[in-house]
Amino acid sequence: MTAGSLLRFDFAAARRGRLVPLFAAGFALASLALALAGLSAGGVVVVQGFARTSVSLLQLVLWVVPLLGLVLGAVAGVECHELEFVAALPLSRRAIVVGRWAAWVVALGAALLVGLGAAGLVIGSLAGAADGLRYLALIGVALLLLSAALAIGLWIGVATGTRTRAVAVAIGAWAVLLVGTDLAAIAALAILPPGEAAWELSLLLVANPVDSARALGLGLFRADVLAGPTGAALRRVLGGWGAWALVAGLAAWTVGPLVLAGRRFARSDL
Amino acid sequence: MRPGVEARGAEPAVIALRGAWKRFGARTALEPLDLDVRAGEVVALVGPNGAGKSTVLRILAGTIRPSGGTAAIGGRDVAAQGVEARRLLGYLPQRLGVPSTTVLRDLTALVAAVRAVPLADALARLADVGLGDRAGATLAQLSGGQRQRAMLALAALGRVEALLLDEPSISLDTEGAEDVRAEIRQARSRGTAVLFASHHLHDVARLADRILVMVDGRVAAQGTLPELAAAAGVSWSEVMAEAPIERIYRILVGRQRGGNAAPALTLLRGDAA
Repeated sequence: MTAGSLLRFDFAAARRGRLVPLFAAGFALASLALALAGLSAGGVVVVQGFARTSVSLLQLVLWVVPLLGLVLGAVAGVECHELEFVAALPLSRRAIVVGRWAAWVVALGAALLVGLGAAGLVIGSLAGAADGLRYLALIGVALLLLSAALAIGLWIGVATGTRTRAVAVAIGAWAVLLVGTDLAAIAALAILPPGEAAWELSLLLVANPVDSARALGLGLFRADVLAGPTGAALRRVLGGWGAWALVAGLAAWTVGPLVLAGRRFARSDL
Repeated sequence: MRPGVEARGAEPAVIALRGAWKRFGARTALEPLDLDVRAGEVVALVGPNGAGKSTVLRILAGTIRPSGGTAAIGGRDVAAQGVEARRLLGYLPQRLGVPSTTVLRDLTALVAAVRAVPLADALARLADVGLGDRAGATLAQLSGGQRQRAMLALAALGRVEALLLDEPSISLDTEGAEDVRAEIRQARSRGTAVLFASHHLHDVARLADRILVMVDGRVAAQGTLPELAAAAGVSWSEVMAEAPIERIYRILVGRQRGGNAAPALTLLRGDAA
């Protein structure tokens, strides 16, 4: 009952802002725009099928979802320090952190579902339902990535304590996750002899939630050849288990930062 | 024995500090303090800004951890059994303690749920303090007085055994301040142990069974108002219409700081020079 009450309280706060409907509308518009973007040779606008649209949408997901999750999570984490009245209620500090994370996952997850779902309905009705299940799986990957990004953001917010610093660190983390590990992988490939760094590259992929989501998303549509050197290394090392390793990695990126944020907040003076 | 006030009588203390102290970086906010408040007792903390009053309340509420010593509510250690201790506790912090964008009804629902009070009863409590039609407003949309009344009503909601109030009359008009006094009196009559910090010395004189005068993290003086008057060298008369509390306070604080307690107030008849 207490956990449910806390979730309802935080969810009410999360959905009251303008961000959630803006995020939903923005994602719906961007998804539809990508779906309608293909022009035929005759110049007639046609709707692309789920597979091609999804590979394009994946790039949008990989850029926007971590940024939003990290920044909003960081702000939510900082706000934990402003909850002196709530912290004096019979609630554990860990429950307060998890409650805020869960509320934002539900609020932004619903916006993601609305945005990508609206595009999915249009694509399905105009271009057929082939690969529709894979499209749903892509939404699942986006939700996993959102969950991990919010958890990392919360940890950043709880640990840094001030809004400006937390947002700055969150944006820095986003840049590292988006391109930093890829640069490290390219550097490793350039330095090491061919075939020597397969394990290390696989670990690098699992160690980065954005890369994990990228490899999972591309794998859904048999486009994993596009996943780059880390994706190739993962296939070579783990074979068919690679996808599950990536899902486990994303889940760990949710649980780990949440545990750290809860511990840090439990020790903090408000 | 460390400075502090201990409850008299055999009844166990509802609020208890044992050698609790707190340091923020290099600054000691609170020297080791023992304090007991028993059921139905009202104890006030007075002192200048930075005296350590809020630190005492925040340690007891569990929102900051003491650097040493222990704090307990109803026999439950605030650090080791935090949730159980806070189940018996109502706390009104000096600052709002929730985002100002919070809707009053949402906060009421949360407090009601964690205190196992039906939501209808909690909303009726808001109506009792004149906020029945404001439940849909955010805290930012309420006036300072309405906000303080709402937060005090929520802090005291349910069967709390200890009530910690940090400047409960702040930003309140005369009527609002009287509501706070009434709430404290009701809490006392219910058998709740009340510990409050205030700069409103007339409230302190009217409400408190015992008073701690704090200066620079230390207890400068303690006791009932007549005991403090004696400690300050201010003569005390039962027939006085109003206690010369400001004068007592000024003398005790000045003495602790080692300076002259130059009385700037108009002295009441019978005060010591």
